[in-house]
Amino acid sequence: MTMKKLRLRLVALAVLAAVAAMLTPHSASAESTLDKILREKKLRVAIDVANPPFGVLGKDGQPDGSDVAVARQLAKDLGAEIEFVQVPSTGRIPALLAGRADVTIASISVTADRAKAVMFCNPNGALSITIFAPQAVAIKTPADLVGKRVGITRATLEEATVPKMAPAGTNIVWFDDLASTTQALLSGQVDAAAMTGFAEKAVADANPDKHIENKLLVTTAFYGPIVRHDEFELRQWINTWLFLNTQNGFLAATYKKYTGLDLPPLPVF
Amino acid sequence: MNYVFHFNVVLDHLPELLEGAWLTIRLSAMAMVLGLALAVVTAYARMTGPAPVVWLVAGYVELIRNTPFLVQIFIIYFSLPALGIRLEANEAALAAMTVNLGAYATEILRAGIEALPRGQIEAAKALGLPRLAIFRYVILFPALKTVFPALASQFILLMLGSSVVSAISAVELTAVTNSLQSTTFRAFEFYFFATGLYLAMALGFRFALGVIYWAAFQRRAWN
Repeated sequence: MTMKKLRLRLVALAVLAAVAAMLTPHSASAESTLDKILREKKLRVAIDVANPPFGVLGKDGQPDGSDVAVARQLAKDLGAEIEFVQVPSTGRIPALLAGRADVTIASISVTADRAKAVMFCNPNGALSITIFAPQAVAIKTPADLVGKRVGITRATLEEATVPKMAPAGTNIVWFDDLASTTQALLSGQVDAAAMTGFAEKAVADANPDKHIENKLLVTTAFYGPIVRHDEFELRQWINTWLFLNTQNGFLAATYKKYTGLDLPPLPVF
Repeated sequence: MNYVFHFNVVLDHLPELLEGAWLTIRLSAMAMVLGLALAVVTAYARMTGPAPVVWLVAGYVELIRNTPFLVQIFIIYFSLPALGIRLEANEAALAAMTVNLGAYATEILRAGIEALPRGQIEAAKALGLPRLAIFRYVILFPALKTVFPALASQFILLMLGSSVVSAISAVELTAVTNSLQSTTFRAFEFYFFATGLYLAMALGFRFALGVIYWAAFQRRAWN
């Protein structure tokens, strides 16, 4: 093989390698979501505005609620403009996975199953799941649920916990959003409903004539922002922000403002 | 985006998905039969009834055709209990689908009836055929034959539209898909699979309707 031929081959190889490098960008050189947020100065947050007191639509039609307030402050400290992606409870994880949002902040309770699909940041609040019904409905122990229709909402913590605690013979009825589950309870299509303690209070307060009362405590849980798997930079920035805002009292003040309750100590992981 | 698809999760839940699809098929087929029967009655009432009946039919058709299906479902499921009429989710779904299809089919049938040559009906009258026989053989049957393709389209639309009855907790294909995606977080996989199932069901219904058309109108030479 002459030197000339060898040189030609080397050039050809180099060209091939360059083309290959252009066609398949290395993952190391791919921009992380955090970099993208900082470059575009825009944070897309998936929120659920049908879930008081975490996410609601205010009287002016703007998103409001404890999680929305957290999202706004987080974006502000990130130096980014906030863009809300409003999703139903069933869309909180899919919207994130589909890349429609950078982070979901919508009272998503930490569960092992959810962590298989997305990555949890540290908790920013706590909630309880309760089963409630009009006074006349006799439910004192879980065994009383047998033969009763219990309304739950898809893609919520109650969907993950109520079927496990309810005895066989409980007639569980699924709805797509809290508004439908609430309506089913108020219209008598279900005997009882399972929601967060906060949602229960909102339903009971808005419908005093139904004499809704708390029947059973299902579970208590912590909820936090979620990001896609592998988004460690973004998760770490959010965790840092959560640490700072636990220390300066912002999270506690926001929680108190919207729920009327004191924020319990938030564990970290 | 580097999303890894896990279609094996779908296979794990195949029985539930097929059960949901089966309810979709049952609800749709029943609503097609009942809705068409309703439409035949209203079409007859509109042709032969007194003015108030004609207005009533027109009001029903316009009310249903100019309001969202989802709202109609909510009214039947959530609002009727206040009047003492409590329907289970599946019953409410069937009622809503029947009432909805009935209105559209009434309008489609009207088009078919208006397209009939007047002389045909007059000839039947001149021959002394009873009124019901005229409606059945001279009006309804040829009209149905004319508008069958439009009816078939409406039937398919109804089947696809049945996906919204998941909102009132009827556990049909979309409801099962939503539950599974929300517990497994495999939204893409389940929605893709549901899309395929809906497509297969739509093609299946189209084929079945084609067979019905052939059996009803072509096998026996009616005209």
